Amino acid sequence: MEHEYDVLIIGGGVVGCAIARELSAYRLQIGVLEKNPDVGYETSARNTGVVHGGFAYDVGSLKAALCVEGNRMMGELAKELHFPFKRCGKILVGHTEEEYARLLEVIRQGEACGASNLRMVDREELHTIIPSAEGNFALLSENSGIVDPFLMTSALAENAAENGVDFHLSCEVSDISREDGLWVIRTKNEVFTTRWIINSAGAQCGKISEMLGIRGYRIIFSKGDYIVLDPRLGTMVPMPIYTVPSNTYMGIHVTVTTEGNLLLGPTAENKEDPEDYGTEQKNLDFLYEEAMRIWPHFTKGDCIRTYSGVLPKWVDENGTIQDFRIEIRDKEAPNAVNLIGIESPGLTASVPIARYVIRLMKEREVFEPNADFNPARNEIRRFADCTREEQEALIRENPDYGEIVCRCSKVTRAEILSAIHNPLGARTMAAVKYRTRCMMGRCQGGYCQMRIAQMLETEAGLDPCEIMYARDGSPLFFGKVRG
Amino acid sequence: MKQEIQDLDVLIIGGGPAGLAAALRLRQNGIENILIAEREKQPGGILRQCIHDGFGLTRFREMLSGPEYAERFIREAEALKIPILTNASVTEITPDRIATVVARDGLRTYRARAIILAMGCRERTRGALAIPGSRPAGVFTAGVAQAYINLYNRMPAREVVILGSGDIGMIMARRLTLEGAHVQAVFEIQPYPSGLTRNIRQCLDDFGIPLHLSHTVTKVHGERRVTGVTVQEVGDGFRPIPGTEQFYPCDTLILSVGLIPENELSLGAGVKLDPHTRGPIVNERFETSVPGIFAAGNVLHVHDLADYVSLEAEELADAVTDYVTGKDLPDCSVSVTCDKNINHVIPQTVSLRESVNLSLRVNRPLTDVKVAAVQGGDVIAKKTLKKALPAEMISLHVPKDRILPGKELEVRIL
Amino acid sequence: MRKTSERSTDSPVTVAGCPRSTDSPGTGPEFQHSTDSPGTEAGSPRSIIGPVTGAGCPRGESYFIQEITDPRRTLASSVLVTGGELPLCSVRLTEPVPIARIPDVMKEIRKMKVEAPLESGTVLIRDVLGLGSNVIATKTIRRIKDTQ
Repeated sequence: MEHEYDVLIIGGGVVGCAIARELSAYRLQIGVLEKNPDVGYETSARNTGVVHGGFAYDVGSLKAALCVEGNRMMGELAKELHFPFKRCGKILVGHTEEEYARLLEVIRQGEACGASNLRMVDREELHTIIPSAEGNFALLSENSGIVDPFLMTSALAENAAENGVDFHLSCEVSDISREDGLWVIRTKNEVFTTRWIINSAGAQCGKISEMLGIRGYRIIFSKGDYIVLDPRLGTMVPMPIYTVPSNTYMGIHVTVTTEGNLLLGPTAENKEDPEDYGTEQKNLDFLYEEAMRIWPHFTKGDCIRTYSGVLPKWVDENGTIQDFRIEIRDKEAPNAVNLIGIESPGLTASVPIARYVIRLMKEREVFEPNADFNPARNEIRRFADCTREEQEALIRENPDYGEIVCRCSKVTRAEILSAIHNPLGARTMAAVKYRTRCMMGRCQGGYCQMRIAQMLETEAGLDPCEIMYARDGSPLFFGKVRG
Repeated sequence: MKQEIQDLDVLIIGGGPAGLAAALRLRQNGIENILIAEREKQPGGILRQCIHDGFGLTRFREMLSGPEYAERFIREAEALKIPILTNASVTEITPDRIATVVARDGLRTYRARAIILAMGCRERTRGALAIPGSRPAGVFTAGVAQAYINLYNRMPAREVVILGSGDIGMIMARRLTLEGAHVQAVFEIQPYPSGLTRNIRQCLDDFGIPLHLSHTVTKVHGERRVTGVTVQEVGDGFRPIPGTEQFYPCDTLILSVGLIPENELSLGAGVKLDPHTRGPIVNERFETSVPGIFAAGNVLHVHDLADYVSLEAEELADAVTDYVTGKDLPDCSVSVTCDKNINHVIPQTVSLRESVNLSLRVNRPLTDVKVAAVQGGDVIAKKTLKKALPAEMISLHVPKDRILPGKELEVRIL
Repeated sequence: MRKTSERSTDSPVTVAGCPRSTDSPGTGPEFQHSTDSPGTEAGSPRSIIGPVTGAGCPRGESYFIQEITDPRRTLASSVLVTGGELPLCSVRLTEPVPIARIPDVMKEIRKMKVEAPLESGTVLIRDVLGLGSNVIATKTIRRIKDTQ
């Protein structure tokens, strides 16, 4: 099967989806090639979900500038696209004089980066803000916030799809070549030709860069394990609690999520395989111990699940972590935008990164605006977040809102149907789970997963053996019991 | 916006064995205005998927399957025209017994003179155990696997390892084997089995499935579907012993590692829970810490026999009858305590003015035991058992005429 | 690795069949058995050295002898249903059958296809394979249109 595009974006993470969405404001045939059966499978959704203030980066770096911009615009973006975002602030707690001095330095550096609303708070004020936090003082970043990283990624993607972008899921790039002034991309079953190619492959950015002919980038993979605690505890922590950073390691955090869960993590360990997501006992033990020192108000019995994520970092020959690199090399790889080392604060900075990419492209080509571009996305109402009157209205309009399928998170049949029929064509259990919050509560799908699997079969027209848990080749069933 | 509140004598949350038995007894006692709210499309609760026999032995003197046992109650409820709202979820209850129910035809609000909590329990998950490793498809709790096979006609397993020798894990070992899967082994972290001996014989021994005690799963492997598990022996404090790692290739890990009473609704109403049972603290009338809110069945404490759930629910229904008919009821302010051999006792508070049926479980297997209710050093009731297992609930009847007023009540193993 | 399912030929054998092995009927009878070990061949008689002791209930002794000489089991499974509100109907045997014949009974059950409506208690196979037990439906399944 052959496809022709103006722009092909390799990688459906938050940055790839942001680029797709921003580009769909222009009249271009745009496609996204994503190797997994849904967007946001790797780094984008496996992180702490923090919207950073922009003060933790080198002055003059892209990381700093794009982060500050991303932070500033996040409220607007979340409203337009309807994904959960809370500008709740963030604290970095300290105990010693040395840490106090370090935090003052952080403020100085931060302000030089363009970050704002940073100040020190004393013990009393700290305990007014978060009574349960441990510390003598803290740096308060009022601009910081939390976001649901998967919903942000899928919201960007779905808005892009609604504006005409094609998403090719389960589509892994195996070969890239240049033929007759066009890029030719081969996947397992298909061939794509395109004028522009964008490498936003995240952890695979080095591999794709090599395929483009831009060689020599050294990428390391830093894996972090997380523990998720019961949302009952989330009410005690109104904003993420960080420790005073050192030069190499951000330290572990106690972070509240937009759903009210508490996250403990991440650990940090370099790994060879960017997709080695198995959590390790030693890391989980370490997290419990460290988190107890920052916030000693939980027990192991509060753990509802664990997960891990990997950050790709571009390093030089000494192993020093570099800034974002976003480049077009007109001689080696014309019309190819190469994004290297997009790690934290990639989530916060995703739309500014996209706009930076487009500015580079527009230096070389004129893009016509797309008159039909709609930056807004329809909200899929969440029954559990509605008032009683709103709930009654929803049910009147659509009785499927009156059928609760996920008991733990009060997710209704209507929301699950919406998720199954998402415009990207993602049809896995995980696709439903991350869009609706079902299967993520206390019972982890013990009550509802059977109904959801059944709904996927009926609604998406899938055979029993085609129901995938998450990745391709992760079937739930071996067949029917009878018949 | 008009918000109609419908009044009820009793709202029963859950149409499983506890809820059904309570409803029938209430109606027999002449309480008319009752309603069962059931979130599934059919009543019966967990019994719908328990197709094995062993139900009804004491109650009906027959060996019935779960669905048959449930149907006896459902038929009678239909005959008595007891209203059962199905496909309806109770989303909130308040301390003054106002309940919100969500259904396809809208939201309903009920004000009940008494609420009976009968929501059953949920299963402990892999997430809660924090078993390290990847998160592939193929890790299921036993109840989920049971539902897939028995209710949904889907086969979720071929090569199986089971963690936990609880009854449901062993029942599933048999079920999976009969349906063509290969169960390689059952691993149990305790040095003794968690479930009934009968199930070890008929679900494991019959099929040559080995049971390995003092072992646990320490890692799950596989990026897409499970490819195997690492199993280790455990020592002191259930810590895995280094060097005892063994890899079992398989495509399915079934977890049968405990049931947790499902009390989110109860918490919302301010009901206090007992950390040992994870169910409500109740008095001898099954009333929780919130007046007019009662609890029975698995939501109160995890049972092992449905027959006893029904008995408990009927006792509760008699108590609720007294409550809604305004009978003068004695204060229950005396705490029941237990010694270190006993995990928990229900009820947790008594009046010392009425007979009481104590339900308890021991902490570990014991032989030749005397379970005794003791007041001020004197044994006022006792029961002798050849064997006491944590897997089997023990009941001890303490008659009214033996109870001494004004003295603490303790349950001990002598 | 310790296994509870291993039995040495010299120690007393216990057999537990009742749902409640502690509270009501006892843990099961014990006996000191002969050089033949139980369960090697269904249906062949055993010579018992000593008397049966330790039965916690009156049925214990006869149950025990049955278990040693000719172990039998009941069975619960499912049959395919067409036109019903559920895809499967649970079934069970009304009498225990010899343990070695269980796979054959399962084969018969797997062949079945039943049309809804179906009443709980309906005999689906009478005297299956001549083993003296019926296979009955244990659920009532309504036809799918009846539920609207």
